[in-house]
Order: sequence, then structure tokens, then C-alpha cells
Amino acid sequence: MKQLIATFLLLTLIISGCLVSASFLGQLTQHTTDLLAQAELSAESGDWATAKKRTTQAEEFWNSNQLFLYALLRHEDVDSVLGGFREINELIDCQEGGGEYSAANARLVTEIQLLYEMEQLTLLNLL
Amino acid sequence: MVTGVIRTIILYLLIIIGIRIMGKRQVGELEPSELVLDLMIADLAVVPMQDFGIPLAAGILPIITLLCVTMILSILTMKSVRFRALICGRPSIVIANGILNQKAMARNRFTIDELNEEFRMQGYTDFSLVKYAILETNGRVSVIPYASEHPVTASQMNLKTQEPGIPMVIINDGHLLEHNMRSRNLDPQWLSQQLKACGVSSPKDIFLLSVDECDQVYCARKELPHT
Repeated sequence: MKQLIATFLLLTLIISGCLVSASFLGQLTQHTTDLLAQAELSAESGDWATAKKRTTQAEEFWNSNQLFLYALLRHEDVDSVLGGFREINELIDCQEGGGEYSAANARLVTEIQLLYEMEQLTLLNLL
Repeated sequence: MVTGVIRTIILYLLIIIGIRIMGKRQVGELEPSELVLDLMIADLAVVPMQDFGIPLAAGILPIITLLCVTMILSILTMKSVRFRALICGRPSIVIANGILNQKAMARNRFTIDELNEEFRMQGYTDFSLVKYAILETNGRVSVIPYASEHPVTASQMNLKTQEPGIPMVIINDGHLLEHNMRSRNLDPQWLSQQLKACGVSSPKDIFLLSVDECDQVYCARKELPHT
């Protein structure tokens, strides 16, 4: 009976750990995409300095959780997000082609949101 | 590449520990659920070993989950006969009182050739010698011959036999197993006598020394290394 309880506890711990990590990933992606959305608004109003600042904040925040991200997500997906940050930083530095920046930013936001959605316990993911 | 090596070691150790916890069954005697477990674990472990882009946790967590579920199932199968029948199936009697149960064979998709093969492996070449043949849940066939076909035993011949018990290994490839000596209440003096009888002076020169419950000693000296 002790073995059964211990195994159930371990299984519960794994499932709980997965749910907690999914929730943490939710907060992480939410904060990052919020900063990127603010950067987008600033860029639309021509305030490229604030756009740059918000994007850098988002990138730093994302990078500060690299251990968690690499431990739980496909490395290719995390690398792709880093590549996205580099791309929009370059476009902000150029301060031209607002449409191109917007498209790249939207692509990065979608990529980050999909990472979160992929970890959610939904029927869509189960199927 | 170092990543791959370290990952391989981690996953290998995890699988060894997992399989060790699960029990001591031989590969040929796996129940269906255990066979599925082994196949899935092997596959899960290989993916993060080869593809460094996949997190190690993606291999470890499913393996631990599988081991947990299997452990739960195995405990439940021990506790409940019905559950055991559901998970492991029930043995099928394919020959009862010398008569082939063709329905049972068809139900298990067990051919006459396979039955013949199992009989031959167990030393039976004639169906008429077999009273019962039972297809076990692990896929093996248990054969029970007619009483007249059983080998004659010592008790049937009224012969007195000695019970030698289990031989205990005292020296294994030059290593003295003191725990086994203590469990048989043997002292160093007994050991030196045996070494002398074997014509050696040290346990290091002995390949195998065992003693049974009737104090019958078997001694094999180490062979000289080939030059």
C-alpha cells in the first residue's frame, strides 16, 4: 500500500509540476508579449526610442528565463524566438519600414503565444 | 557531443533503475503491459539521446510517468484478480484431457505449428502424450503430460535420497564472500583446511568454492593465464 501511495504521489507531483510550469510559461509569455505590444504602439506613434526600450526589456526578461525555457521547450523554438528579437531590434535601429517592423513584431508575438498554447492542457493539444 | 554522452548516461541509468524497481522478470516472460512498457521506454529514451534540440525533460518525464503507471498497474494486479485478468489476460487451455480446443486456439490466434514448436521445445513430439496444454499470459505454453508419461521419481521407486540444499558460494573468482561464510557458521580455520585440500594457500587462487548443506565442498582452482 505504501508503494502505491508513493507512486501516486510521484505521479501527482509530475502532473502538478507540469501544470505549474505551464502556468509560469503563461505569465512569462504574457509579460513578454505585453512589452512587445507596448513597443509596437510606441513605434506606430513614431517614438522609436521607447519602442527600442520596451523591446530590450522584453528580450532581457525572456533571456533571464533561458534555463527554464531550454529545459522544457524544444530548443529550436526558443532559438527561433531569440532570432525574432534580433530581427525586430535591427528594424527598430533602422527606424524605417514601419510596416516591416510591425509584421516582424506580430510574427514574434504569435510565435511566443504559440509556445504557451502548445503547453496548455487542451483538447486541441491532446488531439 | 559531450551533451549526447552525458544525456545517454543519465537516460541509461534512469532506465536501469526503473527496470530494477519494476522487478526481475526475464525478457521472454514479459506480460503484455510490461512488453509495451519496455518498447515505449526504449523509444522515449533514444529520441533525446540523439536529438539535442529536444529537452532532456521531454525524455525523462514520460519515462518516469510510464514507470509510475506501470507500478500502479502492477500493484493493482496483485491486489485484484479481476484487474489482473483485465490487464494480463487469462491463461487459455488449448488441450484439455488430450483433446485440442480449436476454439481457444483460434481465439488466441495460436496455430498448430506454434503449438507443435512449443511441444518440441519441451521434449514432446506426440500430441497423444499430453493431457493438458495451457497457453499462459506471457505467451509460453505449459505442458502437462498424462501421469503414465511423467518421469519416474526417487520416491516412486522407494529410494532414499539426501537433501544437499542450496550450495553457498564462499569464494567467487578469488573474492572471499565473508557474509556467506558467516551465514553457514564457517570459520577461518575451516577455510584454511579447504584451501589446503585444494592445494592453494590463498583464496585469490580459487575460481569457485562452494559448500552445500551436507558440507559437501566443490572447489575449482583458477586456471593459469594464457601466455
